[in-house]
Amino acid sequence: MTFTFDPYSPAVDANPFALYKTLRDEHPCFWSEQAQMWVLSRYADIIAAGQNWQTYSSAKGNLMTELPDRAGATLGTTDPPRHDRLRGLVQHAFMKRNLEALADPMRAIARDAAEALRGRDRFEFIEDFSSKYTVRVLFAALGLPLGDEQTVRDKAVLMVQSDPKTRAKGPEHIAAYNWMQDYAAGVIAERRARPQNDLISHFSTAEIDGDKLDEREVLLTTTTLIMAGIESLGGFMTMLALNLADFDDARRAVVADPALLPDAVEESLRFNTSAQRFRRCLQKDVELHGKTMKAGDFVCLAYGSGNRDERQWPNPDVYDLSRKPRGHLGFGGGVHACLGSAIARIAIRIAFEEFHKVVPNYRRTERDLPWMPSSTFRSPLRLEFAVH
Amino acid sequence: MVRITYVEPSGTARTIDVPEGWSLMQGATANGVAGIVAECGGSCACATCHCYVDEARLADLPVASDTEVAMLDFVAAERRQTSRLSCQIRATGALEGLVVRLPETQD
Repeated sequence: MTFTFDPYSPAVDANPFALYKTLRDEHPCFWSEQAQMWVLSRYADIIAAGQNWQTYSSAKGNLMTELPDRAGATLGTTDPPRHDRLRGLVQHAFMKRNLEALADPMRAIARDAAEALRGRDRFEFIEDFSSKYTVRVLFAALGLPLGDEQTVRDKAVLMVQSDPKTRAKGPEHIAAYNWMQDYAAGVIAERRARPQNDLISHFSTAEIDGDKLDEREVLLTTTTLIMAGIESLGGFMTMLALNLADFDDARRAVVADPALLPDAVEESLRFNTSAQRFRRCLQKDVELHGKTMKAGDFVCLAYGSGNRDERQWPNPDVYDLSRKPRGHLGFGGGVHACLGSAIARIAIRIAFEEFHKVVPNYRRTERDLPWMPSSTFRSPLRLEFAVH
Repeated sequence: MVRITYVEPSGTARTIDVPEGWSLMQGATANGVAGIVAECGGSCACATCHCYVDEARLADLPVASDTEVAMLDFVAAERRQTSRLSCQIRATGALEGLVVRLPETQD
């Protein structure tokens, strides 16, 4: 049978790892007919491509299934020098040393969310803990008005999904994306009318060398920050919780010594990367592993596969708390490495410190999980735990 | 492959064949070199992959971008004439045999 790799397949949503191994070993530069793009799956090839933005351009979009009219107006969908100009405006707010003021509010939110679980013998991790936490943390970080949290969260989760049958965004995904743009536009207008000392105020009134950002850049970058802050952070928290539920030794170790939590975070970023696949567009022909990829072709960088590449990681399919996997692709890499990596690391550590104080022992109740339909991201839609 | 020698804070010299096109930061982190944190993953946004480049070879390196120069203000160890961020230096043939020294601290 001919090998196929369809990133829209529910089987790939559930477990892409065996297919990734075949890709790495037998088809390291593979044309996916279903996705209509090349797939790079080895760590070394993904690092090299991520570094070479001149050839592997992001300007035609970075999501495997791109949202309409978004490419070219966000950090992840522009190349230098335009990208650097946008990032110069936001990156200071996301540097580790500038995030310390958020630690106390984050801890209060985490404590509150964790306390609500006290005494329960079963709960659903996403609805009962992680989504409450991520939405309120993002609202605190961006200074967003309270009241719409649940809707904002639902739309953020919906807009990153794709339809496994049409291999495109469905009307419900586009509608969620449009809702989020309208929501972002309202926040931007409010901040312009009454600027505060916060990221959106600075960003929406910024000028660089007298050159104002255009409206699309302000709107879609804000939309993307909200999407990433809720969906990407929440998706990864769910994967970390799943790993700690499944691997008793690792969970007991981090509960006994929370100083080990950062090691679990890094290993889960490697082991269960939430941004499994991003894409680039070739600016010139590239020869790789005996194949010729043509200028204009799209190329998938399968981060989730690079993070399981036995050429880089010994025993890659083993979850090893002592691995300390430096250089993993859990936040991508190169010029487009995740802007929010520092805030994500702080937020996740604090959330799990507080969560484990209330719920130190938990296991999943379902063997087969309902996985989100997405060609780009991977996380379950529901994760029920039994406390023991 | 480009041969790069990293001198770790302890003084241990590690010579690594870095694939052409990778950054010197990636060559270090993928091979377990001590002394580079690279918190931001290579987007020139954290100043924790600071290194000192061999002075005699400075001219072989492309000049630092404005973003890198601005970010060098945030390095934790002493900033010197030879300070660079290793995520911004791509391995090319011109850098064959380069020695970079890693500072005592990155954060």
